[in-house]
Amino acid sequence: MSSPARSAPPSPARTAAIPEGTRDVLPPEWAQREHLRARLVEVFGAWGYRGVELPALEYASAEHPQDARAFKLIDSGGQVLALRSEFTTAMGRLVRARFPAGPFPLRLQYGGRLWLRALTSELGRLREFYQVGVELIGVATPQADAELLHLAAAALDAVGVSAQLEVGYPGFVDAVLEDAGLHGEARDALHDAIDRKSGADVDLLARRGGLSAEVTRTLHALTDLYGGAEVLDSAEALARAGAGQGARALEAVAHLRNVAALYGGPLLFDLGVSRRYGYYTGLTFRAYADGLNQPVLGGGRYALEGGLPGAGFAVGLERLTGVLAPTLPPEPEVVLALDLAGAALARASGLTAELAWTDDETELRKFCVARGIARMVQGETFTAVDSFGSNGVDA
Amino acid sequence: MTPAAARTPDHLTLALPKGRILEEALELLARAGLPLTMPEKSRALRHEFPGITILELRNQDVPVYVDLGVADAGIVGKDVLIESGRAVYEPVDLRFAACRLSLIREIGATGTIGRVGTKYPRAARAYLNAQGIPAEIVKLSGNIELAALTGLADAVIDLVQTGGTLRANNLEEVDVLFESTARLVVNRAALKLRRERLRPLIERLRELVAADHLV
Repeated sequence: MSSPARSAPPSPARTAAIPEGTRDVLPPEWAQREHLRARLVEVFGAWGYRGVELPALEYASAEHPQDARAFKLIDSGGQVLALRSEFTTAMGRLVRARFPAGPFPLRLQYGGRLWLRALTSELGRLREFYQVGVELIGVATPQADAELLHLAAAALDAVGVSAQLEVGYPGFVDAVLEDAGLHGEARDALHDAIDRKSGADVDLLARRGGLSAEVTRTLHALTDLYGGAEVLDSAEALARAGAGQGARALEAVAHLRNVAALYGGPLLFDLGVSRRYGYYTGLTFRAYADGLNQPVLGGGRYALEGGLPGAGFAVGLERLTGVLAPTLPPEPEVVLALDLAGAALARASGLTAELAWTDDETELRKFCVARGIARMVQGETFTAVDSFGSNGVDA
Repeated sequence: MTPAAARTPDHLTLALPKGRILEEALELLARAGLPLTMPEKSRALRHEFPGITILELRNQDVPVYVDLGVADAGIVGKDVLIESGRAVYEPVDLRFAACRLSLIREIGATGTIGRVGTKYPRAARAYLNAQGIPAEIVKLSGNIELAALTGLADAVIDLVQTGGTLRANNLEEVDVLFESTARLVVNRAALKLRRERLRPLIERLRELVAADHLV
């Protein structure tokens, strides 16, 4: 019952333990995950997103947005390396080095594992996980943003997720705070309170900063700017009511109207989304699967080092597999083939055939029961495992 | 456990802490129009009402259930919420279960603070760092004041409600880290996906709280 002390695990190499936050992926989950990965890759490819593979080892850099959370290693030359902790930064590096002249728009897709040193928030998070995603680089038009929304919806639809897309624009909150004359630390603290939709913390910060009742009302309004298309009207009214001309905030709303019109389908909006998402410079979005209180896809617009615009999204395969496992088609029936002809026949009719490795019928039968195999095949004849060998050799 | 996908789209799962907050929370939610009653004393951990499931939890677990989406919303003290570090929405201050998290020392103690005992290591670390106090933190589970009285720690960071325990034990509040009250917390996805149910609930709770505190 008692688990070994965490500080001194008994010779880890000899136990069955694996590090916290990692996991073995077993059948049938492995096959389900591969099936989903292949479907997503196929959709991305059909939209013109060509695949690239990135190294899992990178040079460690203090400028990297996930630097504090990345695993670090030291190679034999003393160079500090980091295990890949996020794809967008790595894709930016690849684009600068390999596609400096485009042609733009450049459409790329990636897939692979990521590692984080610490568990983000303890329970329910992995330290090693698998993402696939796309980047649309070199253009920043509303059409480009709308393309990513269309592609996200198409990809999720292809794997059978009925998704709801939600769009945010972190720069909107910042613009409203700027119009209200808020700067520095007070603005940062309010960003955080608004992102958590915490009216109580907004009040506390407003009292501390001596903000007027009118500004406080505006800040509260930001925490309620979520819902359907009607949110854009409220956001526009809020921006116009601001002390400044609200130019930046209005621009954000106009951009979102444009994107929503180009997208055409139903969208959710949350204009209280704030700068939790460090590097995003424009629209952000996520997709929710019906009935699941966790997003299955997320992305947004950013600027690459050097100013090149980019936007993209990523899908976490662990969560997606968890959501979709019950809906995936069952794997084909497995049969035990007593000869190669039988195996070929079974495979030709869409079954999976495992080969017999011995003539010992008792052993074969025992294996079939343990493995859940119901039928055997020999030549052109299928036999139920139940009846096989029961009165065979001895009779 | 009921898998999330099996719920009807407008079913709500609420996480509430067992004990005194549970009664006050249920009463407030019932006044806000949810068909809830105080469950019979029983060993059940999960209570079913029309369209609503109530999960009865340790208060530290409420933010976990809500953040991971097993519960759509919950009620929990701001102190527990800060300590959890969970990224959930907290749209309504319910203004009951008021208390404050304070730095407490023996009356007259002036020596440097080298060690601090607390049930709230995360909040304590943030506070001590902000104050530039390089103290060691000892995580304790109960009767925190004893740590200051016995010399286990030079100070403690703990909840104060009335201050009665402090006075009875020759202790005083040196500083207040923050004031805490019960909050409605909501899962980030649930607020959007179940907004037809949650938005009216949030508005009704805000009205009730505002009316209760109009003095």
